[in-house]
Amino acid sequence: MRKSVVHYTLERCIRCMKCVKACPTSALSMSDDRVIIDQKRCINCGRCIMACHNRGILAQGSTLDDIENYDYTICLVPGALISHCASLDEAEDLFHAIRLLGFDEVVDITQYTALHLKEISLLAEENEGDPYIASFCPVIARLIQNSHKSLLDALLPVKCCSEIAAKDIRKKYAHVKNLGIFNLCECESKLELAKYPYGNPQFEVDHALALTDIFPLIRKNMHKGKDPVSFCKEGLQVCNPHRIVRQDGFLIADGFDKVCTVLDMAEFGLLNEFRLLILYPCFNGCIGGHMLWGNSFLATNNIDALTVKNTKPAADLPFDELYTDEYGKDDDDKRSFMERTRFFKAVNDEFERLPGYDCSACGMQTCRIMAEEIVKGNRTEDDCRVMKTLKETAQ
Amino acid sequence: MDSILQKEYTVVQDDYVNAGKVSSDIKTTLAEIGISPKILRKIAVASYESEINLIIHAYGGKVYLDVSDDGYISLVFKDPGPGIPDLEKALTPGWSTASEKARGMGFGAGMGLPNIQRVSDEFDIESSPQGTTLKLGFRAAV
Repeated sequence: MRKSVVHYTLERCIRCMKCVKACPTSALSMSDDRVIIDQKRCINCGRCIMACHNRGILAQGSTLDDIENYDYTICLVPGALISHCASLDEAEDLFHAIRLLGFDEVVDITQYTALHLKEISLLAEENEGDPYIASFCPVIARLIQNSHKSLLDALLPVKCCSEIAAKDIRKKYAHVKNLGIFNLCECESKLELAKYPYGNPQFEVDHALALTDIFPLIRKNMHKGKDPVSFCKEGLQVCNPHRIVRQDGFLIADGFDKVCTVLDMAEFGLLNEFRLLILYPCFNGCIGGHMLWGNSFLATNNIDALTVKNTKPAADLPFDELYTDEYGKDDDDKRSFMERTRFFKAVNDEFERLPGYDCSACGMQTCRIMAEEIVKGNRTEDDCRVMKTLKETAQ
Repeated sequence: MDSILQKEYTVVQDDYVNAGKVSSDIKTTLAEIGISPKILRKIAVASYESEINLIIHAYGGKVYLDVSDDGYISLVFKDPGPGIPDLEKALTPGWSTASEKARGMGFGAGMGLPNIQRVSDEFDIESSPQGTTLKLGFRAAV
């Protein structure tokens, strides 16, 4: 089972419960005056991080010290970050500033993003059944695994763009001993797509870096020089729902709530006239990634300015190198159907007894989660403040 | 074969705002107890279509979910009328009597009952002016 990238710092926590309330999958709860993160439920969407006013919940990546462990290092830069540059000039400056952090080379992944889009567009074109779901974003994959299981078959088994890039780079640099590939992440969810720091050995990327940690350092290096850059237009456009190359039969949605609605509709079979769903949990797509500092509306316009001249084509890789069989294997629930049903029934009965205000005073996000905890034996009805007060008033 | 889980829901006529809430709950419930994704998909489609039928065609109605220990899932949709005048036509793809209002909201394309029949393992419908009862059955491997 994959680990959540969300970290909790007890010293910074003021027990305001904002994070617990913000979680769309009820993964967070408060127990013994501290926040507990359910690794299985967490989808790395980062809503708790945004909800916390005290920086008590954060997602951290590897540190730049890890560069020392490799003979040759390459930093991957996502299109979402590039889009926050207003001009090619600024992008050249940015790439130089990133290289000064200690990398031997800085590579943009737009050509691989374009390849990913090309591949899924081809698959969609041949699709005659229910719509496929694009696999750009790891949050979507986790969301489907958690709460929209019936769409698992629709999720395209194409690797994330950073993975495709890392795989190709490793092949090109086969002659280099001890090559280190770092991925600069624009949002929390992409931190898990690397060997470190979250221990997922199946990935080609060695280290995931959180842009929030690295950005202050990049800023210090700005205006010190320029590195030549050129981007792939279609690839850069992928990071925004309004710019991505759209074809007939594509349904494109952004924003967490809207994405959930689309997934629900797909499960009910209401989107059968579509061939591909491209979903961005972040508003304005990856450009609106939580670790980016700029305005996502401005960045959307930058895409056009950055791809007027000096563009490069999409990468060309054999298709079988783009696939992964990783999705949908996370269900490690070993309980039998009968056990699960019995548990569900017990939870339902308990839920009927609880007040149903979802006040979170007990530390659980909803009464439903509280009912589960009571059935599991972790809590008792006395932990419910409303029931306790009612009981005391009755006496 | 014993029933191990029952749930009952009420659907209100013309309540478009809440359309899909019952099917959502059925879907979540069955996912919780570990019904396989493929069968879940069929049940989601069938229950949504049937729920919408109660909202746009019938005077509302009741939905009964029943799960047996051998993995048989039964869904019963019961409404108090007005009944389907010509069942044979209603089961023909593309045939629809939905109001303009319903069509404007994207419902009533005339694929409701044929679609439900297509995805269900067992399908049984009885209709009279006093009401319609739709019984659906699904076999889940457990």
